[in-house]
Amino acid sequence: MNETVILETKGLTKAFGGLIALDKVDLSLQAGKITAIIGPNGAGKTTLFNLIAGVYPVSSGQIYFQGKMLNKIPAHQRAAMGIVRTFQHVYLFGNMTVLENVMSGRHPRSSYGFLEAALRLPKARREEEASSLNAIKYLNLVGLGTHAEHDALSLPLGQQKLLAIARAMVTEPRLILLDEPGAGLNTLEKRQLSDLIRNIREMGISVILVEHDMPLVMGLAEWVIVLDSGQKIAEGTAAQVQKDPKVIAAYLGEDVE
Amino acid sequence: MSSAQFVQYLISGITSGSVYALVGLGFTIIYAVTKIINFAQGEFVMLGGLLSFTLIHSAGLPAVPALILSIIIAAAIGAVMYLLAIRPAQKASVVSLIIITIGAAIFIRGIVGQELTKSFVRPPSFSGEESISFLGAHIDPQALWIIGTMVMVTIILHLFLTYTMVGKALKACAINPVASSLVGINPRTMALLAFVLASAVGGIGGVVLAPFTPMSYQSGVMLGLKGFVAAAIGGFRSPVAAVFGGLLLGIVESFAVAANWGPFTSAYKDAIALVVLLLILLVRSGKLAEEERAG
Amino acid sequence: MLVRLKRYWSYLAIAAVIAFFILIPFDWFLGRYTTLMIFIGIYTIVTVGLCLLMGYTGQVSLGQAAFFGMGAYVSAILSKTYGVNPWGAMIVAAVMTGAFAYIIGYPIFRLKGNYLAMATLGLGLIMWILFKELSQFTGGPDGMSGIPFLAIGGFIFDTSFRRYFLVWAFCLAVLLISQNIIGSRIGRALRAIHGSEAAAESIGINVTQFKVKILVLSAVLASLAGSLLVFNMNFVNPQTFDFMSSVKLVVMAVIGGLASIWGAVFGAGVTRLLSEELLVRFVGWDIVIYGLILVLIMIFMPDGLFVKLKEIFERLRLRYRQRGTEP
Repeated sequence: MNETVILETKGLTKAFGGLIALDKVDLSLQAGKITAIIGPNGAGKTTLFNLIAGVYPVSSGQIYFQGKMLNKIPAHQRAAMGIVRTFQHVYLFGNMTVLENVMSGRHPRSSYGFLEAALRLPKARREEEASSLNAIKYLNLVGLGTHAEHDALSLPLGQQKLLAIARAMVTEPRLILLDEPGAGLNTLEKRQLSDLIRNIREMGISVILVEHDMPLVMGLAEWVIVLDSGQKIAEGTAAQVQKDPKVIAAYLGEDVE
Repeated sequence: MSSAQFVQYLISGITSGSVYALVGLGFTIIYAVTKIINFAQGEFVMLGGLLSFTLIHSAGLPAVPALILSIIIAAAIGAVMYLLAIRPAQKASVVSLIIITIGAAIFIRGIVGQELTKSFVRPPSFSGEESISFLGAHIDPQALWIIGTMVMVTIILHLFLTYTMVGKALKACAINPVASSLVGINPRTMALLAFVLASAVGGIGGVVLAPFTPMSYQSGVMLGLKGFVAAAIGGFRSPVAAVFGGLLLGIVESFAVAANWGPFTSAYKDAIALVVLLLILLVRSGKLAEEERAG
Repeated sequence: MLVRLKRYWSYLAIAAVIAFFILIPFDWFLGRYTTLMIFIGIYTIVTVGLCLLMGYTGQVSLGQAAFFGMGAYVSAILSKTYGVNPWGAMIVAAVMTGAFAYIIGYPIFRLKGNYLAMATLGLGLIMWILFKELSQFTGGPDGMSGIPFLAIGGFIFDTSFRRYFLVWAFCLAVLLISQNIIGSRIGRALRAIHGSEAAAESIGINVTQFKVKILVLSAVLASLAGSLLVFNMNFVNPQTFDFMSSVKLVVMAVIGGLASIWGAVFGAGVTRLLSEELLVRFVGWDIVIYGLILVLIMIFMPDGLFVKLKEIFERLRLRYRQRGTEP
């Protein structure tokens, strides 16, 4: 297995009853790169993410992360392995502050349990201290440092999305899956988002994003995969994919932003 | 077991099963339309029974008007419960709604206990006490009334849902509330209708049950639970399946007590329904988990 | 200077509350309420567990009395029938109840909302039936009496004065430990689960495992409370653990605030006071009132009465301070 391949799928298929959402998709994604997955609505992009994240089981085929097969590993263990994802609808923890949201991302990297927590043993106190500082570091990275004590839901959507990314970053992932991070953002926010994603890539973390915003994708992605009706119809650099007649045909009739 | 005993237990099971079926119907109607589990469903059965007794004994009403009035009052209370307790909490979480219906249930139970009576009551049977002989078994005529009423209600409900405009609207709302609101069906009116129907059906159940088995203001809890089991067997979607579930539960209960397995005295009879409930939930949870993951 | 004054005031307030609680069982103070306070303390322990379960995992338990009763009966049977040391009985009861909760936990949490509620209701009723029917062990519908007191060496917790401090020592420990847990990564994980289960899973929180752990915790707490109950009353009876008992526990949790630890004291206190007052004057109206309370609180203040009162208090305080700064 190639050392620089971070994610690989072989014949990945997902069926919901009679509906085939993903049909024998083969992928081989390079580590340390920003890969975009695009395609018209219903192409299976979010399904692909959900399979990688472990939200539901694979119907057939395999997923390999850094050479290890993911299929049987439950969703909550994948964060510890280094895979984290964000959600299209953000899914912040509305009952917490901004800081607490980010601190919760530390969960897979901290280890004290019920007993240490119940009695506030030194191990717990040390790890809390570390979590807090760590969280602030990532909040500053996304530019939300000054909002630490605010209620998470009091932020505008663009900042909520940044918060979600900060929370994901705290898990110290090798691979981050961003599900439509640009949806609902204005131009300025999209530019901040692009910068952040490039920053993340600079930190050595591989990024896969699903996006509908073509200019955003084309400006960011080093590799693009195009899905349509559950199948991979093209892949290549942004420039190659844009000129591919199959891709154009798939998008015909679609309102491109 | 002799064949006469078999028939006896079978009829007994079908009788109690019919009541569970009626309660289950109520659960199913409300859940299908509003996605709410009405924990007060059993109380409407209790209301039917206790109201009919009170109207006949204390108010001196003749039987038929008393029965009809009991059902109407039960339905009215259902409407009031929906308007005062459920509608104001439409946006509430599942936890809140569960607690609200429980609160309504014990409120109704408490009022009945205080204002009517705390003792067990038994209104007169519809057509006398003399048992009918059938295949060697002795059947209380009231049992036949119970089974017959359940069949009638099921048929009328089916006709209502399939052939009347209102019924079809109700069904549409159950299948797809968004789409049906787009064609002008008001989901809140449908919800109110669902509650009224469910409490009326419950009341009918109580009215036919009370002459057969004495009821008290506390009877609603177990009846509600068993009706829930019936509806759960039916998946909360199909009235017919709820009826089937109720009958199944009644028959299983009856024969389990008859078989006298180990410690299963009749005191454990209620526990049987509970165990069945838990088994169903276990099975369903497996299916639910599948559905969840299929997103 | 102002900050230091404020801190003095809050220390003083806490000291006053502690002094108040310490002085209650004295005859010249509020001694006649000692028994009531003992019950409030015991029920607070159960309520804390229930609040953690309902408030942080969003799951309803309509059968918490099952765990409460298990703790009570196991302690009673072990100490009375088998002569086991009451402390040992209490620990065994807690372990058994916790293990039971663990076993039913995984299958139960595969159910959602309504199904879960019904399952807990069913379990609660099954337990109650068992308490009534397994008479060789439990003494049947009349229960058991002659259960010993707890003791440390020669010091027996027999007088209500001593039992008061015993119960409230436990209660305080439970409150402080729960507070610690909520402020820790465990508490954050719980709140995360409550906020968004999907997001919680994505950052590595094993949602189901946490729910089971909290169920076990709530069961252990209920069991401890149940044990304290029987070692306090020397007597156990299945009626204490019927469906209405589970409902009353929910009332306590709801009044206190489903996600509030200290609110549990308030919830248990108000509910016990209500049942003492109502029982005396308006026999039978208690369940009507409880029903009304449940409906009204869940409609108008679903975060709980205590939490709502805190909010109102905060708002009044802000308004008072604003008026103070205006010339």
